[in-house]
Amino acid sequence: MSERNTFSPFWHRVRLIKPRLRPHVQVVRQRSRGTRWYVVTDPSSNAYFRISAQAYGFVGMLDGTRTVEEAWNHCLLTQGDDSLTQNDVVNVLSQLHGGNLLQGDIAPETEQLLRRGRERLKKKVFQQAVGVMYFKVPLLNPNRWLAGIEPIFRPVLSRAGLIAWCVLVGAALLALLPHWREAIASVSAAIAPSNWIFIMVSYVLLKLWHELGHAVMTKRFGGQVPEFGAMMLVLLPSPYVDASSAWNFKDKWQRVAVGAGGMMFELFAASLAAFVWIATKDDQGAISQLAFNIMLTSGVSTLIFNANPLMRFDGYYMLSDAIEVPNLMTRSQNLLKFLFQKHVYRVENPTPPTSDAGEALILLVFGIAALIYRVLIFVSITLYVLGLFFGLGLVLAIWTGAMWFLMPAGSLTKWLASSPQLHDKRARAVGLTLAMASCVLLLVGAVPFKERRRAQGVVESAQRSAGFVTFDGVLATAHVRPGDRVRKGDPIVTIESLPLEAALDLTQAQLGQARARESVAATQHPASQQIAAQYVDAMEQTLSLVKTRLQERTLVAAHDGVVVGQDFAQRIGSSVKAGEMLFEVIDDTQLRVAAVLPQDQADWVNVAASMAAAGSDAEGARTPLRIEARRMSNVDAIVELSPSKVPVAARRDLPHAAMAFSGGGSFATDAQAGQQMGEDRVAKSNVFNAYFEAKASSDATTRVLGMPGERVTLRLTLPRRPLLAQWIDRIEKTLQGRAKV
Amino acid sequence: MRESATGSFMAQAVTQYSVLYESLRSRRTRPIVPTGLDRMVGLARVRLGGLRQGRQYLLSQAEQACLLTPEYRNTSDAALRVKLSEMREAFARQREGEEQLRHALAMLREVARRETGEEPYPVQLMAALALYHGRIVEMLTGEGKTLTGSLAAALVAWRRRRLHVLTVNDYLAQRDAESRAGLYRWCGLSCGAIVQATGGAERFEIYSRSIVYGSPKQIVADWLRDQLKLGGVQSPWQARAAGEGGPFGTSRKGELPMVPGLHAALVDEADAVLIDEGVVPLIIARSRREDDMSQVYREAVGFANKLDEGNDYVIDHVRKRCMLKERGEERLVGIFGAGVAGGQSPLWKATRRGHELVRQALVAKHCYLLGQQYAIVDGKVVIVDEYTGRFLADRSWEHGLHQAVEAKESVEVTADRETLARQSFQRFFRTYPFLCGMTGTSADATPEIEGVYGRSVVRVPTHRPLIRTQEPLQVFRTQRDKWSAIVDNIERVHNAGRPVLVGTRSIASSELLSTLLTQRNLPHQVLNANHDKEEAQIIVGAGKGRNGAVPAAITVATNMAGRGTDIKLDSHAREAGGLHVVLTELHGALRIDRQFIGRAGRQGDPGSAAIFVSLEDEICRKFIRWPANVLRQRSKDANLSSVPGIARLMRFAQQRSEARDRRNRMAVLKQDDWIDKHLPGVG
Repeated sequence: MSERNTFSPFWHRVRLIKPRLRPHVQVVRQRSRGTRWYVVTDPSSNAYFRISAQAYGFVGMLDGTRTVEEAWNHCLLTQGDDSLTQNDVVNVLSQLHGGNLLQGDIAPETEQLLRRGRERLKKKVFQQAVGVMYFKVPLLNPNRWLAGIEPIFRPVLSRAGLIAWCVLVGAALLALLPHWREAIASVSAAIAPSNWIFIMVSYVLLKLWHELGHAVMTKRFGGQVPEFGAMMLVLLPSPYVDASSAWNFKDKWQRVAVGAGGMMFELFAASLAAFVWIATKDDQGAISQLAFNIMLTSGVSTLIFNANPLMRFDGYYMLSDAIEVPNLMTRSQNLLKFLFQKHVYRVENPTPPTSDAGEALILLVFGIAALIYRVLIFVSITLYVLGLFFGLGLVLAIWTGAMWFLMPAGSLTKWLASSPQLHDKRARAVGLTLAMASCVLLLVGAVPFKERRRAQGVVESAQRSAGFVTFDGVLATAHVRPGDRVRKGDPIVTIESLPLEAALDLTQAQLGQARARESVAATQHPASQQIAAQYVDAMEQTLSLVKTRLQERTLVAAHDGVVVGQDFAQRIGSSVKAGEMLFEVIDDTQLRVAAVLPQDQADWVNVAASMAAAGSDAEGARTPLRIEARRMSNVDAIVELSPSKVPVAARRDLPHAAMAFSGGGSFATDAQAGQQMGEDRVAKSNVFNAYFEAKASSDATTRVLGMPGERVTLRLTLPRRPLLAQWIDRIEKTLQGRAKV
Repeated sequence: MRESATGSFMAQAVTQYSVLYESLRSRRTRPIVPTGLDRMVGLARVRLGGLRQGRQYLLSQAEQACLLTPEYRNTSDAALRVKLSEMREAFARQREGEEQLRHALAMLREVARRETGEEPYPVQLMAALALYHGRIVEMLTGEGKTLTGSLAAALVAWRRRRLHVLTVNDYLAQRDAESRAGLYRWCGLSCGAIVQATGGAERFEIYSRSIVYGSPKQIVADWLRDQLKLGGVQSPWQARAAGEGGPFGTSRKGELPMVPGLHAALVDEADAVLIDEGVVPLIIARSRREDDMSQVYREAVGFANKLDEGNDYVIDHVRKRCMLKERGEERLVGIFGAGVAGGQSPLWKATRRGHELVRQALVAKHCYLLGQQYAIVDGKVVIVDEYTGRFLADRSWEHGLHQAVEAKESVEVTADRETLARQSFQRFFRTYPFLCGMTGTSADATPEIEGVYGRSVVRVPTHRPLIRTQEPLQVFRTQRDKWSAIVDNIERVHNAGRPVLVGTRSIASSELLSTLLTQRNLPHQVLNANHDKEEAQIIVGAGKGRNGAVPAAITVATNMAGRGTDIKLDSHAREAGGLHVVLTELHGALRIDRQFIGRAGRQGDPGSAAIFVSLEDEICRKFIRWPANVLRQRSKDANLSSVPGIARLMRFAQQRSEARDRRNRMAVLKQDDWIDKHLPGVG
C-alpha cells in the first residue's frame, strides 16, 4: 500500500494518446474467488490478457476519442482510492500494446515492431533450450477439420455422456478387480525390452486420441484449436494441441472440462481395452497384448502425468481452474519467495503475490508440494533417461540441473548482490545465505551417513559333490532316495556292468593260466621262466585294476549332506553311461550366498574383496562392511554374512540362472555372446560374482537361508561417509561402468 | 526574377526536407542498453577494439604525424588551404586511410601553430586521433584539452558532416567557439555556439553549421522541443501533408525542427556528462494551472509534523524515501478525518493520495536540506546541482516534491508542473551514431562508459610530469575537530605565501568555513552558487601568491570550481610552491575528488593537496554507519589518521557510494529502455 505512487515519470508519453481496443478484440468477464477479472482476447493472434476490474474500468473508457489522461481522471473520480495509479495505467497500456490489442495513435514504429518480433523469437528459442526435455514442434492447424468432426462427438459430450463414461470406467475397474493379480503379473512381461516398441506405438496412438479429446472438448464449448504439433516429452514424442482459447470460457467448469477431455478420452479407451483383455487374456494373442498395453500406458500416464496437478499437465490446469487460482505455479513460487524474503531476510515491504488469505494458503501448500515433487521428478527422470541413453541422458541431466538449480542460485546471488530491497540489510542477508549454504554443505560434505546398497543373491551350498558314473553299466541298486540325508561313506547307488564282471572272470582265468605257465616253465624251460613271471605280474595288475573299478560300482557320499538329483531311484535297471552325473550330495549345513554385483558397485566390492583376503583374521576387528541377507520368501529373518570369495576383476557370466532377466533376476543377458563364449548365462555388462558365508554357521542361519537355490536379498551397509563422498563415488562408478560399454 | 524566386523556393524546400529528414532519422534510433550475455559480448568487443588501436598504435601514428609537420612548415597559406580542402574532400568521401590521417594531423598541427600560436604536442595529436576513432580519452587535468578537442573536431566534422561539441557550460561553449573559429575556417568548416541567450532564428542558423558548441542542456532541450513539435510525424512527406507553411513545414505550427539530426558528438568532461549527470532527465514542462494545490501542500506539512520519526515512519536517507509504519497510517486516518471535519481540503478523504502527500512532505523535511540540495533566492526554492554546485534555475523537482519543499520553507507554493517531454542525457547521447569524449579522470566510470556507450577508454600520457604532492588523508572524530584542523592547515599554507583553494560539498559548509576563517582573520573569497556573478573575477584572483604586503589568496569554493576552471598561478605563487587544494569532505566518487584536486599542479606547475574527513560526514553516516559509530565511541583522540586501515575504510565508504550511484543509473537506464520497448513514443 505505502509503496504505490500515483505519478509515473512516463506519464507524458501516454497522457495525450487516444487509443482504443481493436474492434475485433473480445472481452470476457470471469469471476475467481469473488473477484471480477476481464480476459481480453485477440482471436486472430490467440493473445490473452487478464486484467483487473479496475484496469478494465479504465480500458473501457478508452474509445479512441478520449485521451488517456481524461480517462484516468474520470477513473480517479469514480473509483477513488481503488483506481489505477499512473504507473498501473502505463503498465496496462504497454501490455495491451505489446499484445497488439490497441489501435490508435501510438506510433507503430517498424524498427520497434521488428525488434519485438526478434525478441519474441529469442525468448522462444531460449525457452526451448531451457526445456530440452519438453521440445515443441507445431505442425498444422486442425481447426477446420475439427469443426467437421466435432458434431459427431457432440451428443456424447453432455451430462448424459459424462454419466455413461463414469459407468463404463467404473465397470471396467470392477471387472478388472478379480484379475488384479494376473494384471500385475503381466506387467513385467509388458515392460520387457522386447515389448517396448509396441508400448511406444500404443503410447503415441493413445496420446493422439487424448489430444483429440482436448480439441473436441474445446470446440464443443465454442473455442478454437489453431495449432496441432508434436512435442518431445522426456524423449517420448507426444502430440499436443493448443487449447488456450479455453481461457476465455466464462464458466470455469467448461475450462475444467477442456482440461479433463484428454484424460476422459484416454480412460474411455483404457476401459474398453480392459474388457478386451479380460476376454482374450487366456489365449495370449496379439490382441490381448495390445489391449493390455493400452490399458497400462493410459493408466500409468494418466495417473503419473496427466492427473498430477504438480506438473504442468492437464491436472494442473484443471486444479487451477477449479479452485480459481490462476497461474498457480508461478504465484506459489512467488509466495515462497515472498515468505522467505519477509521472514528470513526481513525485507521491508516485499510484495505479496496475493492478499487473499485463503488463496495464500492454497499457494503455500501447492508451492511446497510442487517443490518437493520437482526435485523427485528431476532425479527420477534423469535416472530414467540415463538408463536409456547414457550420453544424451548425461547432457540432459546436467542441462536440466543447471536450469533448475543453478539458475535460481544465480538469480539469488544477483538479488543478494544488487537488489535495492536489501539496501541496508545486505550484510545480514548475505551472511544468512552463506550460513544456510554452509549448513547444507556441512550436512552433505562432512556429516557421515550410513550408506546402504542392495544386491541379489542365490543360496548355494559351500560343499557339494556330484556322483559321476565311471563306467557304462546298468543302475542296479539305489541305497537311498533323493532327499535322504546321508553321512560320509554311505553307499548311494550301485551300478552293474556285465562287461566289467566278464572282464574280472576273464582276467582271473588268464591269471590262473599264467600261473600255470609259470610253474611249467620253471620246470621245463628255465629260459622262459622270467617271461612267464612278468606275464603273471601284468595279469595281477590288470586284475587289481578291474577290482578297483568294480568297487566303484557303488557310489558313496563324499561328505555328509542331502542327496539330490534326477530321480535315480526311478532308473533302476536302466543303463548309465560313463561321465553321467547321477546325483549330488549337498551339505545343507554349510550354505553360502552367491551374489552378482553390478560393476558400478565396485567400491564396496573392493572392500569386500579385501575382507575376504584377510579371512577370519579380521574377525573381531571392526568390519568395514556389514552384509545382511534375507530370504525373499521370509523377509523378517536376517542373517549376517561375511565375504568368502570376491573376485577383483569383473566377468560377464552369471553364476545362476535365477540372476538373469529371464529367470526373474535383474540382469539382462546377451544370448549371442553366450553362444560365442559357450556359456549359457552371459550378462550384457560386466559383473562381479562374489560369494558370502554366514558369519556364524548354525542351524538358525541355515533355517533363515533355507535351501540352496533360494533367492535372497543382500543388504550391504557401508561405513558411514559424508553424502557428498557417496555421491561422487557413485557418479564416478556409473561413468566408469558406462564408458566401457 | 520569377526564376530566382522559384530557385530560392526550391532551395528552401531542399533545406527543409533535409532538416526534417535528418531529424526524423535520428529520432528513429532507439538505442537499447544490452544486458546479460549481450552486454558481455559487447564489452569484449569494445575492449578488443581498444586493443587493436591501442596506445602504442595511436602514439606512433601521432609521432609519425609530427615528423611530417616540417613538410608543411614552409607551405604558403594559400597552398595549405588548397591541401586542406583536398583533404576535406577525401574525408567527406570516406576515402581517408592511415596515411591521409597522418598528413591531416600534420597539417592541422601546422594550422594550429599559425592560427593560435600553440603547436600541439605529440600526446595531443595522439588524443585527437583517439577521439577521431570514437574513443573516450582520459587526459590529466590541465593538459590542453581544448586544443586537442578542436583538432579532433575538425577531423570528425570533415568525416561526418556535423558535429556537436558538448562543453560543461555556456561560458566555455562561447569561449571555445570564438577562439577556435579561425582554426575551423582554415579547414573549411563553420562553427557556432548555442548558449542560453541565443535567439530562435539565430539558433536555427547555428545548428546548420558544421561544428556546434553548446552545453548538453541547451542541445537536449532543443532536441526535445523538436520532438514535441514533430509529434507523431514519421516522414517529411507526412509532415508536408499535415503542414501549413512552407513546402515541408511541420504539422503543428509549421515550424521546422531546430536540430538537423544527431550525427556526431564530442563530449568534454565525458565522465561528468555521460555518467554523473547521465541519468538526470532533462524535462520540458509547463505549469498546470487547473487546480490550486498550494493549500494542500501546506496542510501536508502540518500533518507530517504531527508524526514522530521512528514510531510512525522511517526515513531511508540513502534512497530518499519515507515509509509509513502501521501506527503512522492509523494515526493519519484520525488526522485526516479531523482535518476534513475542520474545513481542510476534501482531498484528504482519499487515503492513498493523502499518504503519498504526507510521505512526500516527510521526505522534503528530512532528506532535502537548505544550503545543500537547494537554496532560497528571492523567495523561491532553487535547486543546487549536486555535481557542479551551481544553481539550476528554472528546474524543479517532479511530482510535487518541489511544492512540498516550498511548503516546508513557507515560501510561495508554485503550481504543479506537468512533464511534456523528458530525456536523460544518457539516452540522448546514445542516439548519436558517433560519440567520443574527453575526461580528466574516468576511474571507476570506465566499465560503465564501455558498457553503456560502447566506447573504449584510452589513457593519454602527460606531456610534462606531474609535480603535485598529496598529503595523507586526515580523519577526525567530529566535524568540529575537522574544521579546526582545516583552518589550521589553511593558515599554515597561507603563511607560506601560497594560494589556497578549499573545496566544500555544499553551500552551507562553504558559509560555515567562511565564518571560521573570518574569526581567524584570514582574508578569503567565497565562491558558491550565491556568488556566481563574481566567478570569473574570483578565479582570476585565486592563483595569486603573497606579493609583499598583499597576502596570498584563499578561495572557498563549492564544486563550481571543480571542473573546467583553470586557475592561473602568478610568479609569486609558483615560487612559493604553487596552489594548495584542501578538500573538506570526500565526494560521492573518487573521480570528483580527483577533479577538484586537479586544480593544483596544472601543466607542470607545482602544487599540493590535502583531504580532511570526519566520521560525522555524510558519506560516513550513510555508507559506513556502524564502523564509524564504533570508532567514534571507542577512540578518545580527535585525529584518527593513524588508526590502521582508516584510509581504506574511507575509500570503502566512497566505493559503496559509487556502487549505489551506479546501481541507480542502471535502474534508470533499464526503466528508460523498458518504456521505449513497450510504449514507443516521443520524448
